[in-house]
Amino acid sequence: MQEAGDTLMDEEKATAPAATVDLAAEFRESGVKEILDELDRELVGLNPVKQRIRETAALLLVDRARKQLGLSHQTPTLHMCFTGNPGTGKTTVALRMSNLLHRLGYVRKGHLVSVTRDDLVGQYIGHTAPKTKEVLKRAMGGVLFIDEAYYLYRPDNERDYGQEAIEILLQVMENNRDDLVVILAGYADRMDKFFSSNPGFRSRIAHHIDFPDYTDDELFTISEGMLGEQNYKFTPDAEAAMREYIEHRRAQSHFANARSMRNALDRARLRQANRLFESAVGPLDAVALSTIDEQDIRASRVFRGGLDSDKPGSPKA
Amino acid sequence: MNADAKPVTVTGAKRYSAGVMKYAQMGYWEPDYEPKETDIIALFRITPQDGVDAVEAAAAVAGESSTATWTVVWTDRLTACEKYRAKAYRVDPVPNSPGEFFAYIAYDLDLFEPGSIANLTASIIGNVFGFKPLKALRLEDMRLPVAYVKTFQGPATGIVVERERLNCYGRPLLGATVKPKLGLSGRNYGRVVYEALKGGLDFTKDDENINSQPFMHWRDRFLYCMEAVSRASAATGEVKGTYLNVTAGTMEAMYERAEFAKDLGSVIVMIDLVIGYTAIQSMAKWARDNDMILHLHRAGHSTYTRQRSHGVSFRVIAKWMRLAGVDHLHAGTVVGKLEGDPATTKGFYDIFREERNPMALENGIFFDQEWASLNKMLPVASGGIHAGQMHQLVHYLGEDVVLQFGGGTIGHPQGIEAGATANRVALEAMIYARNAGRDYMNEGPDILKDAARTCTPLKQALETWKDVTFDYTSTDAPDFAPTPQVSQ
Amino acid sequence: MRVTQGTFSFLPDFTDEQIHTQAQYAIDNGWAVSVEYTDDPHPRNTYWEMWGHPMFDNPDAAAAVFEVNECRKAHHSKYIRVIAFDPSPGWESIRMSFIVNRPKDEPGFRLIREEKEGRSIRYTIQSYASDRPEGQRYG
Repeated sequence: MQEAGDTLMDEEKATAPAATVDLAAEFRESGVKEILDELDRELVGLNPVKQRIRETAALLLVDRARKQLGLSHQTPTLHMCFTGNPGTGKTTVALRMSNLLHRLGYVRKGHLVSVTRDDLVGQYIGHTAPKTKEVLKRAMGGVLFIDEAYYLYRPDNERDYGQEAIEILLQVMENNRDDLVVILAGYADRMDKFFSSNPGFRSRIAHHIDFPDYTDDELFTISEGMLGEQNYKFTPDAEAAMREYIEHRRAQSHFANARSMRNALDRARLRQANRLFESAVGPLDAVALSTIDEQDIRASRVFRGGLDSDKPGSPKA
Repeated sequence: MNADAKPVTVTGAKRYSAGVMKYAQMGYWEPDYEPKETDIIALFRITPQDGVDAVEAAAAVAGESSTATWTVVWTDRLTACEKYRAKAYRVDPVPNSPGEFFAYIAYDLDLFEPGSIANLTASIIGNVFGFKPLKALRLEDMRLPVAYVKTFQGPATGIVVERERLNCYGRPLLGATVKPKLGLSGRNYGRVVYEALKGGLDFTKDDENINSQPFMHWRDRFLYCMEAVSRASAATGEVKGTYLNVTAGTMEAMYERAEFAKDLGSVIVMIDLVIGYTAIQSMAKWARDNDMILHLHRAGHSTYTRQRSHGVSFRVIAKWMRLAGVDHLHAGTVVGKLEGDPATTKGFYDIFREERNPMALENGIFFDQEWASLNKMLPVASGGIHAGQMHQLVHYLGEDVVLQFGGGTIGHPQGIEAGATANRVALEAMIYARNAGRDYMNEGPDILKDAARTCTPLKQALETWKDVTFDYTSTDAPDFAPTPQVSQ
Repeated sequence: MRVTQGTFSFLPDFTDEQIHTQAQYAIDNGWAVSVEYTDDPHPRNTYWEMWGHPMFDNPDAAAAVFEVNECRKAHHSKYIRVIAFDPSPGWESIRMSFIVNRPKDEPGFRLIREEKEGRSIRYTIQSYASDRPEGQRYG
């Protein structure tokens, strides 16, 4: 008898909600602080995005605390939409977001599966459902990032298989909220259009985050960082050239923020290598091997009105 | 000759002049010898008689277990005798055991007939064990080269295929030995088998001394047991088995019994270690040819495995049995009523179940041993174990093991079927908890108590055997303590 | 009767959460989880129908639970089991197998005794369910 009584007491203790919650301690112990600090430290600019993430983290932390006090029982809707131009850091932030959700216990594994329409939509009858399900299963326990999600919907084609993928996605986003978080990403205007023709998505997305274009200064800082990671450096003249390059590049077509910087630097390194090869006499030191010169930047066609690949009929570089 | 001088091998014609010479001078002590990859290496624990030098004793063991006799013979010179001589190459004092030494002896592969345990043992544990200059001699371990391992069939079925045949994965198998050991009629015996299997066990087992006696002739036992096995299988949808002991006075009788077991649809037959190595190898071959699992009861082994100073370590017997080709072999329980120190038992289990045994002195394993894809043996744990120890059993023995609860099934207050169910529920609950990442070794009693809430038979079992433990000092503990971590 | 094949059959039927726990253990060991179903649970019926391929690339067991539920929708009155394949050398076989769905009434098995010479008997086990054609065996 005594034993049965004890067991009952233990159970009550175990299920009774705690009386108070120390939010600051939760913040420290969950590891969320490190992720937010890391975000601040490592990502250039993006201040409105960072602000939104801080808010989201606070909301989730409070929600978790409410759960501990028995005030809420449901998993909040966590599906998100990231809008912005290419190269504005959406994928990078999605990675951090999945990590954040993992630390907070909202996803179990915290991995990111990044896909586009082709990964979800099949080419013949019966092809799409298994394909979409396969991707969803792979993303379970983590975050599914669908880039340019609006391509799933093609209003001009009634029999487009994208519709099938959309239906399965919606179903899983609703029924398996504990199992995965979906982030849709793409241009803001196209996303808006997508949502107006697919209201089901709009109602299931709880968090919208807009990614602004980077300023010229930010892009310069980003490119410096990219070079630094590969142990290269600009000369002072090259720095000036790079800043000019950024101005020009922004005005031209297919501008993709940070991604354009990466491409520009890749080509600059190619030119540097070529320059060293053709001009060097005698041994080269480490400084020479890791310096990007003014001419490595200025040789770009951006200074002459456009990239090689943009000009019709021009041979591929 | 000065007895204290470092023994040096005598060479040339002088080596073969008639008379008596020290073994160490005859070429059986070669401290610079580096064993070849194909050499068989034996590690002996030697206890020389007072006044006998350890090196000379080791050389004598090498000599007596290979080519030597007590005197020089000229006929050695007709052979490549340097190759055939076993070579003692290392002698170490045993830690904390004055007067005892570990002698490492290397044997050329050509000294042995391929695929014959009988031939191997006739040399290694032949005359040499009665050699007068030694007080005691124990074969501690052997390194069997891949070249030799590959000449044996190995376990007839192996753990993987056994599980596939039984359609049983992810948990230890459960068994029980029918009790009382002796005296039950065939009809009564089958009743125990039926109840235990229906209740949730995978196997029941004949005891080692159940063969064909006046109270129950073997055909009766087989017929009633297979009726019980088939009924239990139909009642549960599971593949069930009972180890029908086919041990008999002659090979012919054993084959006859094994064939009858096969005709009746048994998945497994059983033999005793006392039938001898050659008979075991024959039965292993028969088992492989007839899709039969082969269970070996190690009856008699304690006469030579238990004492630390003299005999053969069970780890060596285990290696021989893996070569010989049995599928099941008893290997200790750690927590039950029979001998078994945890560290030593781990060494045995590793020899049964691993593809490769790295040297592990703390588990009594002295050599790296490659098993060259020989099938794995399933260890059987039996003797004084019960459902209340399930967390310890899973912790010490792992998943690939047969847990045999004889008394712990049949002695259940509500009967055999209830006893079997208690064990199965306890086991599934413990495996569930382990897989769920719980600290089941420490939380074991709670896990069992929780499981007992929906299982009255388990509740009764835990109540009945709650105080049963067998805590005695082991007689066969390793000589080497685990190496302390440098960082700690 | 209750068919008691598999790693867990004597515990109360698993919730989806418990299936997740056990499947996750398999995945964390590097095993691929798979879902299979049958209407003939004969102990030697090795090849149940595969509900899709083994899930080699799913880090979270939610995928397995998802497929179990998909399979339940299509085969609610059959036996469904979750199994885990270990591809590592020396195993290359199943490491876990447990039933996660069973028919409401399990009719069990008939034991057929073919009487032979002497007192020998040859035993055959037959699923009562398989008296009827495939697909019409349960509810």
